[in-house]
Amino acid sequence: MISLTLGGVTLVYLLAGLFFLGAGLWAAPRLQRLARALLWSGLAAHTGAILGRWLKSYYLAGQHHLPAGFAESLRLVILQVPLSNFYESLVFFSWCLPALALISFRRYVQGYLGALVATLACLLLAYASLGVDSSIKPLMPALKSNWLLIHVVTCFLGYGAFALAFGAALLHLWQTRGSRPVLSGRPTLDPLIYQATIIGFVFLTLGIITGAVWAESAWGRYWSWDPKETWSLITWLIYATLLHARLVKGWQGRRIAWLAVFGFLAVLFTYFGVSFLLPGLHSYLT
Amino acid sequence: MVPQAKPLYNISVSLSHSLPSLKSWLWGSLTSIRFTVFLLLALALVSVIGTLLPQGEAADFYLARYGTAAGTFLWHSRLTQIYYGPWFLGPVSLLAVNLLACLVHGLPQAVRRIARPFSGEAAAALPERGRFSWPAGADPQPVVAAAFQQELGRPRRLVLPDQEIYLYECGRFRPLGPYLIHLALLLILVGGLLGKFWGLEGTLALGQGETAQTFAIDPRRPEQSLDFQVRLDRFQVRFYPSGIPEEYRSDLTFLKDGREVLRAVCRVNDPVSFGGLNFYQSSYGAQPTGPIRFKVCRGEECQPVEAPWRRRVELPGGQAQIIALRLEGNLQGLGPAVQVAYKSGPGHPQIFWVSQDHPELAGKPDSPFRQPDDYRLTLTDLPLRYYSVFQVKKDPGVWWVYGGFILVLVGLLLAFFRPPQRWALVLQKKEDGSWAGRLLGAGPRAREAFGDRLQGLREALKKGAGS
Repeated sequence: MISLTLGGVTLVYLLAGLFFLGAGLWAAPRLQRLARALLWSGLAAHTGAILGRWLKSYYLAGQHHLPAGFAESLRLVILQVPLSNFYESLVFFSWCLPALALISFRRYVQGYLGALVATLACLLLAYASLGVDSSIKPLMPALKSNWLLIHVVTCFLGYGAFALAFGAALLHLWQTRGSRPVLSGRPTLDPLIYQATIIGFVFLTLGIITGAVWAESAWGRYWSWDPKETWSLITWLIYATLLHARLVKGWQGRRIAWLAVFGFLAVLFTYFGVSFLLPGLHSYLT
Repeated sequence: MVPQAKPLYNISVSLSHSLPSLKSWLWGSLTSIRFTVFLLLALALVSVIGTLLPQGEAADFYLARYGTAAGTFLWHSRLTQIYYGPWFLGPVSLLAVNLLACLVHGLPQAVRRIARPFSGEAAAALPERGRFSWPAGADPQPVVAAAFQQELGRPRRLVLPDQEIYLYECGRFRPLGPYLIHLALLLILVGGLLGKFWGLEGTLALGQGETAQTFAIDPRRPEQSLDFQVRLDRFQVRFYPSGIPEEYRSDLTFLKDGREVLRAVCRVNDPVSFGGLNFYQSSYGAQPTGPIRFKVCRGEECQPVEAPWRRRVELPGGQAQIIALRLEGNLQGLGPAVQVAYKSGPGHPQIFWVSQDHPELAGKPDSPFRQPDDYRLTLTDLPLRYYSVFQVKKDPGVWWVYGGFILVLVGLLLAFFRPPQRWALVLQKKEDGSWAGRLLGAGPRAREAFGDRLQGLREALKKGAGS
């Protein structure tokens, strides 16, 4: 049921992407509204699927070890949040993109950018559904912590915001190629790149901090140079560079866009590359 | 003579000038954004190398993996301990200097800026955003106050002889944001240094019922002694049906001079503190408490064999030897098992597991329990005891680091989510009793939010204004 819903959501995102593309090509406001409504309904179903999986993994864990009393049930609810393996993280990552775009950057979600957001979410979800083991596995002891929820949510909201900045940066680079002046009447994407980067940076900082506090309480080391930690630091340094270039040097436009692209490559490596190529404390993700 | 003296004179002049200019050049470089960006990217690059090159292995590892020349180079360049040597600590120290220089350079300025009050004069210098007028007899004050209240917040009101000024300011502390972040990073670095030089970190392995008075910091150094004793009363591990551990816990008792002081349960994610040290449950294992007894069959002929832990034992008939290598309390959910190395003839030894509860697995092809064809080993006695491994730690820097974390968050909040905005409405009473209003305002760091508020204010003011 849940995987069927997610399959449907993938198709809805694909359709929304196509409609956004059409709206961008022919400047059709009706298509635009339709695409936006599709993206919203896809997001709603996606949210439902995540909640459904949460419920399911709660019941599965409850069968194995029945919680006694309200406090234990609440703890089990928090622990069973569907964010504990690679499949679940991919599903949440693809949720973050349209959620952030529709909630925080409503006025930018139109035309080509809308198409990019919907397509990226569709691709991530398709990869999760087709290429990754989706079974619900019992939690290992190290993951049994209240920090799991907040750590993973902040990290992936950060990744989602960086992905948004990346999409906007690609589009900006495409629109300004050959240094043609930006077509008038369209909101310029430069502020979007910058604002999405700020949101991503704040969430990444929160993710690193919650991870450090968690590691301190689980292993007694807030930092152990685990590859995932180190790569998140590298990503943080690159985006810190972007923010300094913007705030101190006043960089804008294409140069900021290139930095956002570069930063997102580091995000991708932090997420996929480290999980598959470099073994470490986070290797349960694969 | 004169032409020759001239260059000398020039040199001396340039020398006397060069000292202060060297100082200002150095100061300028230290506080420059180029230096910061260079350091950030250098740290990123060093970290990339640190994740691609395996860290902290023995010299032989690098020699075997990268060849003699490259391995020797890597070993001597200290790239194999990259985070603890000059490669990383160099740029980090420079970054600390850079951060400090930026703080010294900019913090007083930022403090002066936020200390400057938003006065009538400062308001008059803001760009104009709209004009409004009210006819004689109309009272604009309630309209203006209501419009401010609705769109912005409670305004401050200045009453001058023939004009009134409504002022509203938010995001005043924004200039502090970046400096708080930089200060926080320095705190985190200080915390890291404190932990490195005044912290302690080691491991303690305890069998059930054992009491320890020392723990190991480094295999090459003598053990660190404790001024108390710690005893493992009980170790429990619970498994999922698949054999993956679900939870493990150690019941510990801390003793001082033989007297019980504290009983506590240590779990993963749930450490125990005693005597200034923290104990973290890190792993566990099983060890034999005596020789392992096998029944070894060759065809129909069976004999008992006693195998001391990790010692070579000849099998009956003398054609093969075994060594008991490893022990698991619950292998793949199938119960206790021993890993055995089996060698017969000149070939490589074969390695397989022998399960206590499931001897039938020995014939299962492609499984880790698969045994060689000529002998069949079954376990008759596997006396085992669990031991529990703890990470023992003292880190006086942790609170500095946590303080830095909180300060980073406050700094980020100020820097990015409290953009400064200043608004003023100057009401001027004309001779005929009518009022003219000028709306002024600026919010350079958040154009969108500023534009939204401007539109709202204009509408609210127009609704109450005569024109």
